[in-house]
Amino acid sequence: MSMQVDTTQMEKVSFNAEQLEEIRELVARYPHPRSALLPVLHLAQQHFGYLPMNVQQLVADTLDVNLMQVREVVTFYTMFREQPTGKYLLEVCTNAGCMLNGACELLEHMCRTLGIRVGETTPDGLFTVTEVECAGACGGAPVVQVNNVYHEKVTAEHMDQLIADARAQEDGGVA
Amino acid sequence: MTTLYIDDKEVTVPANTSILEACRMHGVDVPYFCYHPELKVAANCRMCLVEVEGWPKPAASCCTPVAEDMRVRTQTETLKKDRKMVMEYLLIHHPLDCPVCDQGGDCKLQDYSVEHGASQGRYVEPKRRTEDKNLGPFITTCMTRCIHCTRCVRFAEEVAGTGDMGVLNRGDHMRIDSIVEDTLRSELAGNLAELCPVGALLDKPSNDVSRPWELERHHSTCIQCPHGCDVIIESRGDEVIRIKHDPEGAEAWICDRGRYVYDAFRSDDRLLVPAVRKQGELLACDWNEALTRARELLKDKKVGIIFSPSWSLEGLTSIRLLHDAVMNEAKVAFDLHRRDMRPFAFEEGLSMSTAEIEAADEVVILGSDLRQRLPILMQRLRRRVANGKALTRIGAMNYRTNTSPGKDALIRPRDWPAVIARAMEQLKDVGKGSPAMEAWLERVPARHEAGKLLADALMAERCAVLVGEEIRAHEDAAALIHGIDLLMRSAGHGEAGDDGRNLIPEGMNAQVLSAVFGDIRTGVGELLQAAEAGELDALMLVGSDPLGDGLFSMQARRVLRQVPLVQVGAIGGQIAEFADVQLPAAAYSEIEGTFVNMEGRVRIADKPLRSIGEERPLWKVMMRLTQELGADDVPAVSLDELRQKAAVFMPELADVFAGKKGAEWRMPTARNRNARCLPSGVEPAMALDIVSRFSMYREGAWARASGLLREAGQLFALPDVLVHPHTLRQLGLEEGECVIRTASGEITHHVGTREDVAEGVLFVAKRGGAGDLSTETSASLRGV
Amino acid sequence: MIPSDPSKVTAICFDRIHLPGQATLEVARKNGAYSYLPTVLNEMNREQIIEQVKISGLRGRGGAGFPTGLKWSFVPRNTGKPTYLLCNADEGEPGTFKDRDIMRFDPHLLIEGMIMAGFALGVHDAYIYIRGEFLHEANVMNAAIKEAYAANLLGEHILGTDFSMHLTVHRGAGAYVCGEETALIESLEGRPGRPRFKPPFPAVEGFYRCPTVVNNVETLATIPAILEHGGQWHKQIGVPNSAGMKIFSVSGHVNKPGNYEVPMGMPLRVLVEEYCGGLQHGDVPKAVIPGGSSTPWLGPEHYDVPLAYDEIHKAGSMLGSGAVIIMDETADVVALTRRLSHFYAHESCGQCTPCREGTGWLERVMLRLEAGGCNARDIEVLQDASEHMAGRTICALADGAAAPILSLLRMFPDEVNSYLAENKA
Ligand SMILES: Cc1cc2nc3c(=O)[nH]c(=O)nc-3n(C[C@H](O)[C@H](O)[C@H](O)COP(=O)(O)O)c2cc1C
Ligand code: SF4
Ligand code: FES
Repeated sequence: MSMQVDTTQMEKVSFNAEQLEEIRELVARYPHPRSALLPVLHLAQQHFGYLPMNVQQLVADTLDVNLMQVREVVTFYTMFREQPTGKYLLEVCTNAGCMLNGACELLEHMCRTLGIRVGETTPDGLFTVTEVECAGACGGAPVVQVNNVYHEKVTAEHMDQLIADARAQEDGGVA
Repeated sequence: MTTLYIDDKEVTVPANTSILEACRMHGVDVPYFCYHPELKVAANCRMCLVEVEGWPKPAASCCTPVAEDMRVRTQTETLKKDRKMVMEYLLIHHPLDCPVCDQGGDCKLQDYSVEHGASQGRYVEPKRRTEDKNLGPFITTCMTRCIHCTRCVRFAEEVAGTGDMGVLNRGDHMRIDSIVEDTLRSELAGNLAELCPVGALLDKPSNDVSRPWELERHHSTCIQCPHGCDVIIESRGDEVIRIKHDPEGAEAWICDRGRYVYDAFRSDDRLLVPAVRKQGELLACDWNEALTRARELLKDKKVGIIFSPSWSLEGLTSIRLLHDAVMNEAKVAFDLHRRDMRPFAFEEGLSMSTAEIEAADEVVILGSDLRQRLPILMQRLRRRVANGKALTRIGAMNYRTNTSPGKDALIRPRDWPAVIARAMEQLKDVGKGSPAMEAWLERVPARHEAGKLLADALMAERCAVLVGEEIRAHEDAAALIHGIDLLMRSAGHGEAGDDGRNLIPEGMNAQVLSAVFGDIRTGVGELLQAAEAGELDALMLVGSDPLGDGLFSMQARRVLRQVPLVQVGAIGGQIAEFADVQLPAAAYSEIEGTFVNMEGRVRIADKPLRSIGEERPLWKVMMRLTQELGADDVPAVSLDELRQKAAVFMPELADVFAGKKGAEWRMPTARNRNARCLPSGVEPAMALDIVSRFSMYREGAWARASGLLREAGQLFALPDVLVHPHTLRQLGLEEGECVIRTASGEITHHVGTREDVAEGVLFVAKRGGAGDLSTETSASLRGV
Repeated sequence: MIPSDPSKVTAICFDRIHLPGQATLEVARKNGAYSYLPTVLNEMNREQIIEQVKISGLRGRGGAGFPTGLKWSFVPRNTGKPTYLLCNADEGEPGTFKDRDIMRFDPHLLIEGMIMAGFALGVHDAYIYIRGEFLHEANVMNAAIKEAYAANLLGEHILGTDFSMHLTVHRGAGAYVCGEETALIESLEGRPGRPRFKPPFPAVEGFYRCPTVVNNVETLATIPAILEHGGQWHKQIGVPNSAGMKIFSVSGHVNKPGNYEVPMGMPLRVLVEEYCGGLQHGDVPKAVIPGGSSTPWLGPEHYDVPLAYDEIHKAGSMLGSGAVIIMDETADVVALTRRLSHFYAHESCGQCTPCREGTGWLERVMLRLEAGGCNARDIEVLQDASEHMAGRTICALADGAAAPILSLLRMFPDEVNSYLAENKA
């Protein structure tokens, strides 16, 4: 996919007043507004779910930086996503500490249960499974983050339960 | 200064020099990719490693400063292995397509592979694939060849100021990318191809046309703007293949206009054979026939001559010699952008070098679209701003400079007297008034706050004032320049050498023009007026195109319809339509000759390309014509003789030609110490001021003959007529068709809006239906 | 609560960590937080503080072990520019998880340490750069900072003195290299975290080219104890050249993985067996990574190595961030190395040629090795490509990428050989 973009063809998005106020406060904490780029991208991702090009343009305009600078940042950091994910983002650490304590087997189990490969989202849009680098919680290996909440010493049963609960809640929500 | 040892040789370099630069200064060859003397250090290629005695690890020499008594080794076994490994790393994803790569033969990767690389790589995994980019009309990409040195990214940020290139992703997914579809928004884009050490960014127009080793290289001077950059013209046989920046030249870059104009050298617009008009049609003929016809039109007639300033010194001198020998009644003019012909307190030309301007304490741009006019000087000013130095700009438009001058004021041309008056008041307030100032002030009741910026800047010890086309074209230009001169004198900026007075000239050779033609020059406007009034029998245009350039196109068109025309030049262009005789003159690539740029730097081009048709150097054409018109003697029969004649007007030139002046010597600009023009106090007739826009892609017959520049011009075009949205709103109008009324009539034209035009200004392009508006200085607007 | 007799000290950073409610200002204060701060602000001057930190022998806990007092003394004064204090809470080194506990359980200890450090350095604006994944920890820190502002422990005129300092938590967004101090600065300036070359050093030209000190969470959390009890007191804990307590994050094949704060110089075996419940399988580890995944591995012969800078260095590795990863006899060292190679390839910022191209290359060869597709020539590639990236790049990530491979080749040649195509067949 070509990363070059025709910015004139994009749907316009905006921040609401409350978010703009929050951004103003963020900007005020740094010697230069550009420093607020990561925090504002976190805020934008929280709000829009992910960071498509029009959201990146919005962030660029809001902080008065070049779109290229935003693109550089978004593509450098793994937590910023240009594609949407499932409602539940399951991030499994498979680095040393976790690997030595069964993380790879756990990951395999999760993929099998959900019928997807690493990096994919279930067809119902509920779950995305990814493999991540050391989460900084190796004492609790293996570690899985569910929408950025840490779960430690996770077993296959835990994950099955978590997936079942999420599905149940989802069904309940529909009914 | 710091003394250190490089491979046991003692060397002394300025403190804080990098080891790599110390090596370069002393001829020690250290390989590198990412280092570039004009860009910030990135230190990412790791090719420039050296060993320093006592240090545990090798050091990147480009980012390691020298230290007293440091012992540096550049050729150890470890380093050889390291370099071999860097080459191997770089080549693992690099395609082995040298035979079809345009960089082949001129490629650092190729050279270093031979010098430092292994004969065979050991990488057997799949290679990385990378998408190519569309970077506009001038640069083509083959990104799989990219070695990630980031020179281009640094260039876009630091030099072009666009910042529209960047580095996406990380690790070995990292790639260079540009953000904007279709174009790199820079007038310096062509430099990227030269900057890229491998074949990732290539010159699009000359891509696949030739291989580097087939080309002959000719050192030359670019005449596309007064900057006169040193260039290398590369040719295959007689054909110009491309123009490149001269690495030994005074500036680090050249602009796209100077680079891509080469396309005009082989365009259909070139004048390559003499021609005469018969039964309304221009027909090729031989030199004798054309000269005979020229004699019929010119001999013993009242003639007007308009020439272009960009001919060589010898060519220009030959025009004067022709005038003196056989046409001394002729009216002679050259500046298509000057309305006020009273003498200026300081005439065209820069009193400072561009490096001195960059380094000055303050720089003020008065009414110039410097990015279009002098892109390479603008680049220096951009760097100045990036380094935290002040830049002040006052003018009719917030010309897009890709930098933000700290102090910026938008004004209408009619405000200039009030701006200068405001600055004078401020100087008076700190006790720096003068009687001359009082006399000036007396004529100007109004004050404009922008004058504060000017006065503030003038208080600095070294202040460079750049006076641009908005002032030079002003009807009261002599008074404004006198006012600026008074301000500078009061603020303590003397009148010697690099005194900060810089009047941006129309074209090359400004200093020469004042010296050679000062006593006989007249204004283009006056000349055309005389022609219109029937006072001239014939017109001779020598490389000048008053239809396409400058402020007199409307009059010029009327005159050309009624007065016989002899066209002398290298480009036919739209003037050809009116010519009765055409005498082809050689292009600047095809002559030996001397050029003086706006700084007064003298460059002698001595390795010309051969002519491709029957065109002859201008001086030969002029001398033949002189003979034809009945001179007993030909005033000059060689370049040497012409130079001697030129030295009559400018005695210093004798020393230059005798080699007695160093390469650094600069010809001083002319001063008219007694010029004391006071403001006229006349207000423009109508409510809006017209400012005519200069576009580097369209100005000049050469540029218009270049398909490449025309293409770029379309890409970067703004609407033909622009005003500030408030101005329209105040008149109860909306963006769209409007009736534009000037002293010479009414036209209906689309009017666009932009916030960066001063309120009350009608900003017009010199093309299409709006082109003739440039002739006028004020206008009014109403609905259709 | 910390005893004044150094021989009796059992914890510094973790002293109050498990007390219920310690994350709140009220409880923390009851337990002694900020009690010595007024004395520091009112009775000590900048030189005295730096002097005490120098005497204490405290070395940076972030990995490089650089003497903290010395680092502080490099900060130029009167430059006309502000000086910044940045707390490195990026905690990305695989195996390290100590800073997280300080922040989530005793945030006020870090705040107090930063106020003292900021005072010593003349700082007006300080930032905690915390890895983006630590959302919970960032929230806890933010709540604590809010309380501290309310109590005039942060902000203008702290506790009525002339000293003012602001503190902001700044979340990263997933990039290990941002733990490297100059990458951290780049990131804090809103850019990709690509390390800067040195010189200039951050102490002279760091955040927005102003003097900047970057210190690890644990380093800063040690400052209150040092100032309260004196540098000399701290120096006497531990062993020569490795003063004080150190938190070791132990993970891998031990029965009770976790963070343990112990005096420096404790033998590795004691830490593993007395604190961590011993190995999951067998009596001695197959291999130990003593200081985070970037440090060279130690073998069973070093099971008794004292956990101190010089001693580990002598054994051929580094104390690093104190992240001890234990592999027992069940470990597949080739698979683990391949996994770590993936980590470094994934985390390389991409700017230096050897690291950008080398890490990817190493990972691909390791994958092929594991799959049985390598021959002896590939082993030579692994060796060459690792050796020539370590120490030849802007930051030490490349050294970290080389360490596991070089360790594997050095310590387990037979195991590696058994993976070669000819031996697999
Ligand atoms: C690749 C790399 C990653 C690093 N990651 C961290 C980190 O996560 N946390 C940390 O405190 N130091 C890290 N460091 C060390 C820092 O560069 C720096 O030395 C440290 O923050 C200084 O603080 P200290 O002196 O208090 O240890 C890292 C260094 C490198 C080369
Ligand atoms: S060593 Fe690797 S991570 Fe460090 S600066 Fe160089 S490329 Fe980036
Ligand atoms: S020239 Fe020094 S690292 Fe590239």
